[in-house]
Amino acid sequence: MSDNYTSILWNKQKKRYDMILWAGIVLLLLSFTAFQFVLYKDITVETLIIRATALTAIVLLHIILAIGPLSRIDSRFLPILYNRRHLGVSMFLLALIHSAFSIIQFHVLGDTNPIVSVFTSNIKYDSISEFPFQTLGFFSIIILFVMAATSHDFWLRNLSPKVWKGLHMSVYLAYAMIILHVALGTLQYESHPVYWVLLILGFVIITGLHIFTGIIERRRLNGDKTDLIENGFYEVCSVRDLKENCATTVFVNGENIAIFKYDGKLSAVHNVCKHQMGPLGEGKIIDGCITCPWHGYQYRPEDGQSPPPFTEKIKTYEVKMINDMIWVNPSPKQEGTFVEPAKVKTS
Amino acid sequence: MKENNKFYIGWKDEIPTRHAVFLKKLLIAIFILIPMLGFIVVYFQKPFNSFNFEFGNTTTITGIYYDSPIPMLFADEGSLERGLSRDIVLVGYGKFGAKGIIENIEATEGTLRGKKISLNGTLIYGDGKMLMELTKKENSFVEIVSNNAQTSPTKSAFKEVSVSGEIIDPKCYFGVMKPGEGKIHKSCAIRCISGGIPPVLKTKNAQGENQYYLLVDQDGNPINKEVLPFVAEQISVSGKTYKVFNWNVLYVDVDAVRRM
Repeated sequence: MSDNYTSILWNKQKKRYDMILWAGIVLLLLSFTAFQFVLYKDITVETLIIRATALTAIVLLHIILAIGPLSRIDSRFLPILYNRRHLGVSMFLLALIHSAFSIIQFHVLGDTNPIVSVFTSNIKYDSISEFPFQTLGFFSIIILFVMAATSHDFWLRNLSPKVWKGLHMSVYLAYAMIILHVALGTLQYESHPVYWVLLILGFVIITGLHIFTGIIERRRLNGDKTDLIENGFYEVCSVRDLKENCATTVFVNGENIAIFKYDGKLSAVHNVCKHQMGPLGEGKIIDGCITCPWHGYQYRPEDGQSPPPFTEKIKTYEVKMINDMIWVNPSPKQEGTFVEPAKVKTS
Repeated sequence: MKENNKFYIGWKDEIPTRHAVFLKKLLIAIFILIPMLGFIVVYFQKPFNSFNFEFGNTTTITGIYYDSPIPMLFADEGSLERGLSRDIVLVGYGKFGAKGIIENIEATEGTLRGKKISLNGTLIYGDGKMLMELTKKENSFVEIVSNNAQTSPTKSAFKEVSVSGEIIDPKCYFGVMKPGEGKIHKSCAIRCISGGIPPVLKTKNAQGENQYYLLVDQDGNPINKEVLPFVAEQISVSGKTYKVFNWNVLYVDVDAVRRM
C-alpha cells in the first residue's frame, strides 16, 4: 500500500525476489548459450540472442500466467504472486530484445521500412503453414509494452482498478498470439516433435489451471445460494464454522461478500480488494485490519476504509446473528460506511 | 500472533516459515529444471551449416567482371588463398543486390563488363559457392587492372531439367544468417530478393547432395519480384539450364512454377 508514488518500494523480500528472478533468467540464458556453443558452435550471435531471449521470455510468461491460479489452489505460492509485475516487466524486456533483434535481422537494411516489412514481406495471410507469424509477435509485444508501461500503481490508481485490470487481462490475448507465433513460425522449421510437446504441455497446464480454479470458484458461488431469507437478510453459516480473524464468503443477489470474525465480532465487506481485485475473503485480520492476501492492502472491517493515511474504501454490509447462525443483508452500503459489527454469541 | 505468522504479507520484511520452506523446495526444483530445459531445446534443434561470412574483415580480389546473367567476378587463379571457388557472385550491402553499386561505379569509371578489376568486399562462402558483399558500396571498387578481356563468360550447352526445392537468397544462406532458409527466414529472404539479390533454387540430387540454380527469366535476364510469392516454399519447376563457371543457371517460367 502506498499513499504516494515512488518507483518501487523496496523491502527485503522484493530485493530477494528480484535477485532470485534474475538468477533464474541468467541461468537459463547462460545454460542455453553454453549448450549451443558445445553442441552447435556454428550458431551466429544474432540467432543465439533471438532464441535465448525467446525461450526465457516464454518460460516467464507461463510462470506469470500459472501463478494466479496456483495461488488460489495453494496459498504458499502467494510470495511469487506478490511481485508478479517484476516478472512481467522482466519478461517484457526479454521479449523486446527478441523482437528488436528479429526486426533488425530480418527486416532492416532492405528496400522497405522495417516495420512495414513485418506486415508486407510475407503476405500469405490466407495460409496456415505460410502465415506471416512475425505479425503475431509484433502485436504481442505491443500488448506487453502497454502492460509493462502501466504496471506501476500510479496507473492502477489513475486508470481505476477496473480499467487497469481489464487492460492487463489482455495478457491472455498476447499469450494466444505468442503460442500461434511459435506454432506458425519456429515450429514450421524445427520439425522435431519435442517442441510441439513442450508448447502444447505449457498451453495445457495454463488452460487447465485456469479451468480448474474457475470450476472451484463457480462451485463456491453456486453453493452459496440459500433460500432462507428474513427481512432482507440471508442465512450464511454457523459462526462455529469461522476461524478467528478469518472470513467466510457468500455470493447473494450479485454481491460478493466476505464476513470476518474477530475480537468477538462479525463484519461484512465486499470480497474484492480495491487494488488488484484480490479475494479479501482469503485474507486475514492483521493488526485489526482485513489484509488482502495478494498485496497486503488493508481495510478496517467495520467501515471498509483503509487506515490513514491510505484512502481506499470498499462496500460494507449489515450482518447479524440468530442463535449460532450468521445472517447478512446483501444490500450494500456506500464504500467506507460504518456498520455496527454483530456481537458473536454462541449457545 | 502465531497464527498471524502463517499469513503471508508481501510488504513485511520477513516471510512466514511455511511459505519459506515451500518456496525453497520449489526454487531448488526450478533451478534444476532450467538447465534441463535449455539442454532439451538446444539438443533437438536442426544443426547449423558451417558456412562463413567474414564479418568485419574485407578482402581485395582481382578478376574479370561479368554482368550477365548476374553481376559476378571470376577471380584470378591464386587470388584466393583458401582454395575457394573463383566464380564470385556479387551482392550489395544489406538486403540489396550489386547492380545499383556497379551502375554507380560505371558512371565514373565507364563500363566494367569483361574488364579485369579489383574489388574490395566481405566474403561469404560455403558448400563450394562464393559471394562477395560490396560492403563499402561504391568505395568497394579499387581499380581497373586491364581492359582487354572477354566480355561474356564461357557457357555450357543448354539442357532441360525438372527440379524441386526451395528458393533461397544466397547471401543469407551461404553464411550471413543461420539458418538462412525455411519459414523462419522467409521474410528476410523475400526482402533480400526484392532488393536485387539473385534468387537461387536449392535442390538435392540423387545422392542427396545440394545443387544450386541461379534463377533467371525466360530471356535469361535477372528475376526478382516475380518469384517473391514462392520464396522459402517447396516448389517444382522445369526449364532449360546451362552452366557458367561453377553455377547452374535455370530459365524460369514463373507461371509454370508449382508448389509441392
